[in-house]
Amino acid sequence: MPTGIRDYPARAREIIRKDPLVRESVTGATIAFDEKRRRSYAEIDAEAWRRWAEGVKNHTLTHLDRYLTEAEARLEANGAEVHWAEDAAEAREIVMELAQRHSVRDVVKGKSMLTEEIDLNPALERARIDVLETDLGEFILQLFNEPPSHILGPAIHKSLQQVRNLFTEVLRTDSDADPDTLAQAAREALSDVFIRADMGITGANFLVAETGTVALIENEGNIRLATSLPRVHVAIVGIEKLLPRMTDLAGFLQLTARAATGQPIGCFVSLIQGPALHPEDDGPEEVHVILVDNGRTDVLAHEHAWEALRCLRCGACLNVCPVYRQTGGHAYGYVYSGPIGSVLDPGLLGLHEAMPLPFASSLCGACFDACPVRIPIPELLLEWRREAQEAGLTPWKERAALAGLAGMATRPGLYRAAGKLGSRLAGTGMARSLPMLGAWAEDRALPKPSRRTFRELWRAGIE
Amino acid sequence: MTGRERILARVARATAGREGLPHPGPLDVPPADDPAAAFVKRFTSSGGEVVEPDPGRPAGAWLTAFLEGLDPAVAGVAIGPEVPPERRPRLPEVAAAHAGAGVSAAWGAAADSGSLILPSTGGRAVQLLPPVHVVWVPEGRVFARLEDALAELRKLDEDLPAAVGLHSGPSKSADIGQTVVTGVHGPGRCIAVMG
Repeated sequence: MPTGIRDYPARAREIIRKDPLVRESVTGATIAFDEKRRRSYAEIDAEAWRRWAEGVKNHTLTHLDRYLTEAEARLEANGAEVHWAEDAAEAREIVMELAQRHSVRDVVKGKSMLTEEIDLNPALERARIDVLETDLGEFILQLFNEPPSHILGPAIHKSLQQVRNLFTEVLRTDSDADPDTLAQAAREALSDVFIRADMGITGANFLVAETGTVALIENEGNIRLATSLPRVHVAIVGIEKLLPRMTDLAGFLQLTARAATGQPIGCFVSLIQGPALHPEDDGPEEVHVILVDNGRTDVLAHEHAWEALRCLRCGACLNVCPVYRQTGGHAYGYVYSGPIGSVLDPGLLGLHEAMPLPFASSLCGACFDACPVRIPIPELLLEWRREAQEAGLTPWKERAALAGLAGMATRPGLYRAAGKLGSRLAGTGMARSLPMLGAWAEDRALPKPSRRTFRELWRAGIE
Repeated sequence: MTGRERILARVARATAGREGLPHPGPLDVPPADDPAAAFVKRFTSSGGEVVEPDPGRPAGAWLTAFLEGLDPAVAGVAIGPEVPPERRPRLPEVAAAHAGAGVSAAWGAAADSGSLILPSTGGRAVQLLPPVHVVWVPEGRVFARLEDALAELRKLDEDLPAAVGLHSGPSKSADIGQTVVTGVHGPGRCIAVMG
């Protein structure tokens, strides 16, 4: 599938220059998310929880065929139907076939990154099926006709005023309405769609093999409604979402919420084993689980990148990332943005397609410290950079610069001379015309470098 | 070969050369000494409310007065099928979509996550559609850890309900300007009745 990743640098520049509100909204929201995560990690033995979660996921991913077949058998025994999709097109076809089988006219959706990945909504809309995003943030973005810009807070790049203006136009609320009033207007607009809808479509946070349990975490209650009221529930699940045991959920449900929003657990968790059984009063008559590969087995086969499949989609790495904070997710050009996107997208799409994302990082390491399943994101970024270098995918300027650096680093005399020249130049007006330093110095006063080089200072003994 | 077989074959190939890593076992967090008190603390800090019925009155009569005393006063209720007769309020029963409150019975609760554990056999619409959700938590059914509760649910095996909901506070969202609002889709008030 073609993505907009290639234009990342240009789009990032454009967002920063033309829409400074995005940077302000995203930075504010992510700092708030991250502070809550830090406080929440401090309440538990976070290191022990993260190591445990890493271990369970590693175990699952190294026995994945066994757990996939176990989950399938269990779901079928529970009365659910299991489908397998090798790629996005197959996943869409399965949903379309189910929609036709049930003469579906209205679909309510729970927030799902995977349905964004497989581009599901446009396919349903082409078949004249009304698709309504029911998560408040996703609902807002559907009205704006924009994709989500953050895994967890899809609309964090929108300010209160932007939402006010939109709602005034679409839902006729007052131009100075407070968030409560706006949310109430959205609730009213969405109130009967759950009852009217024929089908609820969701993703899944986890799929438990031993019980066939589809687990979904949320705060609003829209996912519980979308999986409870329509006749048919379709859960679209990446094959990496497996967990072996029901009890594993306890740690993962709590850790995901702590990493994502700093809550002890999501306000609502749905644990779905299958369709409603008699004599239940309500609940779906059919539950379908679509297991999607779409590049995940390629990631699994990669010697290093397979560790990225542990990802819980909590967004903690986005929240701490100084690069993500500048632009939000739209600049990245694909559904998975931020640090995790930069290591996952090359595996899912192929490195060529995902360039230059592995370079969209300062390698500060904050993403690893935040990650609830200890994905070594900085190491994986370096690995992808190495592979990009080997495959000749890096820009010629950079290859030349690296070759130059290597040449200099292996010739001490040349290295010393270059160091001296650099410190002299940096002190003059010429600094602003040097590559990279020029852009950095655009809005800053340059510090005055020492007249002596580091090596000279070192020899003299640093005070 | 079907798509299923091709995916499973790719998974097997991808993991063939890799060492199979062991499951680390249970997370084993130390349990709270007083699960009921720990539940109340956690549940209320997430915005849930906890009340204790007046022991001097019949449960049904107490709940009726409690619901009538809410603001706005509850006129019509939806009641889950698993609420025992003596715990049902004496108010007109209406469909969940029109009820001022839903009354249901929990299978249990978990102290560490502050969650009410609600089986689908208790009626899903009752638990979700009314603006206020009142939940009877049976005595002695507060598990110290969610892990213990899930282990107990697992033992139900074939009798595991088709769906189980964990409700750990009122419905909320911070999607508009990062300001928290409650009652977005699900109940804006979630009230646990202990005992």
